[in-house]
Amino acid sequence: MSRNSLPPLRGRVAFVFDEPDFDVDQIVGVKNIKIQDVEELARVAMQAYDPDFRAKLRPGDILIGGANFGYGHPHYPPMRAMRHMGIAGVVAESFSPGYWRGEISMGFPQAACPGVLAAVSRWDEIEVDYADNLLRNLTRGTQLPIEALSAGDAAMLAAGGLLPYLKRDLATGDAR
Amino acid sequence: MGHTITEKILARASGRDSVRAGDDVMARPDFVVAYDFPGYTDVIFRQMKEEFGIDRVPDPDRFGLFIDHMVPAATPAEEELHIGTRRWCAENGVRLFERRGIGHQVAAEVGYAVPGAFLVHFDGHISQLGTFGTLAMGIRRNLLEAFVRDKVAIRVPGTVRLDVTGRLRSGVMERDLFHHIVRALGPASCKFQVLEIGGPALEGLEVEGIQTITGLAMFTGAVTAIVNPAPRTLDYALPRALKRIEPVRSDEDAAYTARHTLDLDDLEPVVVVPPSPANTRPLRDYLGTEIHAGYLGSCASGRLTDLRAAAKVLKGRQVKPGFALHVVPTSQAIMAAAAAEGLIETLVEAGAFVSSPSCDYCYGRIATMTAGQRAVSTGTLNVKGRMGSPDSEIFLCNAAAVAAAAVEGRIADPRDYL
Repeated sequence: MSRNSLPPLRGRVAFVFDEPDFDVDQIVGVKNIKIQDVEELARVAMQAYDPDFRAKLRPGDILIGGANFGYGHPHYPPMRAMRHMGIAGVVAESFSPGYWRGEISMGFPQAACPGVLAAVSRWDEIEVDYADNLLRNLTRGTQLPIEALSAGDAAMLAAGGLLPYLKRDLATGDAR
Repeated sequence: MGHTITEKILARASGRDSVRAGDDVMARPDFVVAYDFPGYTDVIFRQMKEEFGIDRVPDPDRFGLFIDHMVPAATPAEEELHIGTRRWCAENGVRLFERRGIGHQVAAEVGYAVPGAFLVHFDGHISQLGTFGTLAMGIRRNLLEAFVRDKVAIRVPGTVRLDVTGRLRSGVMERDLFHHIVRALGPASCKFQVLEIGGPALEGLEVEGIQTITGLAMFTGAVTAIVNPAPRTLDYALPRALKRIEPVRSDEDAAYTARHTLDLDDLEPVVVVPPSPANTRPLRDYLGTEIHAGYLGSCASGRLTDLRAAAKVLKGRQVKPGFALHVVPTSQAIMAAAAAEGLIETLVEAGAFVSSPSCDYCYGRIATMTAGQRAVSTGTLNVKGRMGSPDSEIFLCNAAAVAAAAVEGRIADPRDYL
C-alpha cells in the first residue's frame, strides 16, 4: 500500500490547542473520562474551551495542536467525541508517541507539521496532502511540509484503522 | 558506520542482515506480553476468534499474561475479566503470572528480559526491560497485530544517546535522575526515538534504579529505553532467560539522532508537580507544602532500594497521625526479600500501611483521594485524577522523600533524615 492512496483532508481549523505537552483528556475533562456513550462525551467535550464548539463545526473540520500533543496518559474518549462531532483529523507541531499510535490505530488521521501554529489561524481553510506531504493553508495561500507517515501508519489509515488493516493484510498475505 | 543495539535487535527480528533507523520492517517479537485490562486483553481475545477466526496462538511459549491490575478484585465484573484471562491462558497453553507482583517487574524476574530480545506489550512502562538490553515496546492496541500474525509492522526508531557521568549524592536517587533527564532534555526530546543510556556513571547506579529510569522513558517522548548489557545485568538475566539469544551492543561508531551528557554530581532531590510529568522542580522550592497521603510503590519504584531508603527515614520515627502512607512492594519476591531484611517490620512499626503487590494504588482504584487532598508518590504519573478526584493533586518524588513527607505531613527534605 503506497501512502499516495491516502486521500487528502480538507476542512477548516476548528480549534488551535497551542499549549505544548497538551493532555488530550482535558478536552472532555478528567471527571468525564470514563463515560462510554459517545453522544454524552460529545456533550461535555470542549466545554472548558468553547462551549459553542459543536454548533460551529462542519464535518471535515480539523484540529491543530502544539508541540508534543497528547503527552501524559492519553485516553481514547476525547478523540472518540471529536470524531463523533465530525472532526476529520489533527495536525500538530509534533506528537507524543503513545497518543499517536493510539489514534492511528483508530484510523484517525494525524499529521506532524513543524511550524503549524504560526501558519494557521482558527477557521482558516486547510488541506492535509498525504501524497505530497504538505499542509496547505488555502485561506492564506501558503504551504508547509508535513512529516511522511511510516508505511505501517499509512497503511493503517488507508484501511480505516487497526482491525480493517490487519484483516486486509492477512487476507492478501501482504507481509511487505 | 556502526549500528545501535536497537538496529541490531530489529535486524535479527526482521530476518535482515542489517537495518537502519527509518527503515520500515516487519519484525517478529520474541515475546508478546500483557496484563489483563478491560478494552485491551478481553478485546484482543474476542477479536482473535471472532474477527480473525484464530482459536489458538500458534506458538504459546512466545506469550505471557499477567494479572496485576484489579488485584484483589473488588467487583464481580473485575473477577469475570480475570476468569476470562485464566481460561484463555489455559486454552492456549500460555504462561500466566497471577498475584506475583506488578507484571513489568515480574517479567524481568521470570525471564522475559532476555538481552537482545524484541518484546511487545500494550503498556509503555514495559520499557524497563531495556535495563537488561531487551528492546521492549508498548504499542497500545496495535498489540492485536502480534496476536493474529507472526510479525508486527514497525519503523526502526532512531536513538538518542545519554551518557551519565559523576555520582549521585546521598539522598538523591535514580528516580530523581529520571526527572532531571526530562527537565534537562525536555519532555519531547526523544520523541519516537529510543533513549539509550550509558556512560561511566551507569555502573554506580542500582540496577533497580535503572529499571526505574527506563520504565519511565515515555515521558521523554521515547518509544522505549535501553542499556547495553553489562556483566551484572547479564548475570541477572541470562540464568533465567526464557529464550537463548546472543546479546548485542551498540557499536562505538553507531549513528545517534542526538547525544547528551548529564553529570550526576550536581543533582539534588526533585518533585514533579501536578498536573504533568513534564513539571520537574527542585524539591527545596516546595518544602512545607501540606500533604495528606503517600504512596511508595508502582512498576517504577517500590523495589528493595526504595524500601531501604524509606525504612532508613522511618526507622525509630512515626508517620504523622492522620497521614495515610501506603507502601506496596513491586513484587512478591521483593516483598519477601524486604521482610527478610527487616524492612517491612521497620515500616509497619513506623505506621505505614503495607500491602501486597498490586497496580491498583497507582491509578486511584484503591487508596482513592478526594477533592482537595494531596499525595506524594513514587507512582508513574501525576496527571489530574490519576489517584482519585480530578481535584486532588500528586507530587512525584523519590521513596525517601515520600517517607520524609509522611513523618512531617508536608514536603520535607529526605537528606535531613539520612
